[in-house]
Amino acid sequence: MSQEKMRVTEEIDAEKPSRGFWSDAWQRYRRRPIGMLALGFVLFLSIVALFAPAIAGTKPVICKYKGDLYFPCLGYFNRSWESPIFTKDKFRGTYPKNLKQKDPESWAVWPLVFQDPYRRVRENEWPGRRENPSRDEGHPNRLNLFGTDQYGVDIFAKMVHGTTIALLVGFVSMGLAGSIGVLVGALGGYFGGWVDMITSRLTEIVMCIPTLVLILALIAVVEKPTIWKTMAIIGATGWTGIARLTRAEFLRLRQTEFVMAARATGAGSLRIMFRHILPNALAPVLVPITFGIASAILVEGSLSFLGFGPPPPTASWGSVLNSARSNLQLWWLVVFPGAGIFLTVLAYNLVGEGLQEATDPRLREAKK
Amino acid sequence: MAAPLLEIKDLVTVFHTSEGRLPAVDGVSLSIERGRTLGLVGESGCGKSVTAMSTLRLVSSPGRIESGSITFTTEGESIDLVTAPEKQLRKVRGGRIGMIFQEPMTSLNPVFTIGNQIAEVVQLHRKASRSEARSRALEMLHLVRVADPEQRLDEYPHQLSGGMRQRVMIAIALACEPDLIIADEPTTALDVTIQAQILELLDDLRSRLGTAILLITHDLGVVAETCDDVAVMYAGRIVEQASAVELFSHPLHPYTIGLLQARPNVDARDRSPLATIPGMVPPPQDFPSGCRFHPRCSHAREPQCNVDSPALREVSPGHFVRCHFAEEINS
Repeated sequence: MSQEKMRVTEEIDAEKPSRGFWSDAWQRYRRRPIGMLALGFVLFLSIVALFAPAIAGTKPVICKYKGDLYFPCLGYFNRSWESPIFTKDKFRGTYPKNLKQKDPESWAVWPLVFQDPYRRVRENEWPGRRENPSRDEGHPNRLNLFGTDQYGVDIFAKMVHGTTIALLVGFVSMGLAGSIGVLVGALGGYFGGWVDMITSRLTEIVMCIPTLVLILALIAVVEKPTIWKTMAIIGATGWTGIARLTRAEFLRLRQTEFVMAARATGAGSLRIMFRHILPNALAPVLVPITFGIASAILVEGSLSFLGFGPPPPTASWGSVLNSARSNLQLWWLVVFPGAGIFLTVLAYNLVGEGLQEATDPRLREAKK
Repeated sequence: MAAPLLEIKDLVTVFHTSEGRLPAVDGVSLSIERGRTLGLVGESGCGKSVTAMSTLRLVSSPGRIESGSITFTTEGESIDLVTAPEKQLRKVRGGRIGMIFQEPMTSLNPVFTIGNQIAEVVQLHRKASRSEARSRALEMLHLVRVADPEQRLDEYPHQLSGGMRQRVMIAIALACEPDLIIADEPTTALDVTIQAQILELLDDLRSRLGTAILLITHDLGVVAETCDDVAVMYAGRIVEQASAVELFSHPLHPYTIGLLQARPNVDARDRSPLATIPGMVPPPQDFPSGCRFHPRCSHAREPQCNVDSPALREVSPGHFVRCHFAEEINS
């Protein structure tokens, strides 16, 4: 490093107030435009996932009916969150006409796109609109942005609602995998000896099982496959890498002086493991979790594509792809969900890579 | 006479490795009185740190305390730290005995603030609320004379200099007002000027709080400045023990004499090369027979020194030495 440069870095260092590890990592992460773009995309997906029923749906976001306010769109998240009054008044899922007929005083705020991910929108359901096209006529148009599938169900609505499922799959399964992995790795790495023996062998055994085959086998056994069971299986098999990394970090950190110092202050094993060591081991463990989210989304996509995903009414990206299997001429059934999965997985991988670079001091040095 | 604060008797700590059973500490006996400072001196690898670690049973596998007792007497209660259950030991660690480590740069957890780390000890050992622990932490930072304590409280270890960090370590060790502080080479990693400040601080705190100190060091200068009593260790054993005054004026063991001669003397007129002790401390697998110092000793005589292991004997009141010919050498 030239002297000139050194002076400059010194000045910069002097200027910025010294910070904690995470804000420092964030500063470094922010410098990579691709990482920021990917993070932006992930945030965008999260917003879409969270507000899916308000973006595409046939149930009002908010409506006044017979003097009370309701949020029927929440029914997309959970059937029971849709007020029973609509079932009692025989709405049968079609709101626009029924609302006006049964209560002329009513008003409603509708989703941005009036399309349903679970059924075909019929003629005149929305004033003056014709029935959704199906089969070969269903290519993308003004009303069906991404086209419709062979039954006339809107693909855009399916994609939007599929975002919720894709992200949920990623977070829930990796949340589970992360918890198991960190626990197993921490126990093995901290205690060593026979505990390590057992946890390491357990990790290796689980690692030897081909995930997809295990999932297929389990799904064959499970009576009613739901998206939650799929997540549980992905999580229960995907923790091995995290466990190994956690173990390695704990092996390294338990030798450090600050751990010895913590023991000398009378802290117990659990306290040392989870309060003193884990925060120091978190950065390297967070990286495989990010990559894991991407691969979980991919696994769910493959499962649905193979037809072993959650049962039909669930609108996952993989199941849209699956419906394209028997209708290859409907190119929009392939392109949009395919691109969705591709971009999401790519974004998560880029975020993971950025995180790795921002938190790993060795990679940081190499960059300079 | 009341029981001493800490009494180590015939402590043997061994490491079981592929090279066999290595006794890093081989029959060490020490005692520390309340409010006194005991210096434990020796070259690298002679078992000083292992002795300190053994005291709090912090020796990690493959090391193990094989025999001996460590009796810690506080508030009229005696505990054998070697056999005490882990739960009781945890109360002693940090609560009754504080520990300061050699490397202030790595002994603090990098992800927590200073205040957090001091407060944690307080909360571990006392029924203190968060805010009480925090104000105690602030008080401790004042006590160890950290500049701007209010601001430092919320800073991370990497924002502090080495001397500051060692002060924080002292604050952690003292936070629960322990009866004893074990300081394992507390100044080795620091600049000379900072060293003096830290030692002064330790000495001052001892006289104010009445805390006894076990000071482990290889630096005889440090011992001369701060200690009441001195024990010299060589190859896992105590070779000489006396009060500091006595030891510096009448060293008896050839090893102690060698160590004293190996000190640079600023006042010396002559520019003769510094005296050294030839060779190195043998590793535990190569401990020689007889007196463990004899291969390096200029006074060694066969057949006694290489066959008979000398016992630690009292040559004058309070002055113990482990040498066959201590009187002869010094007459």
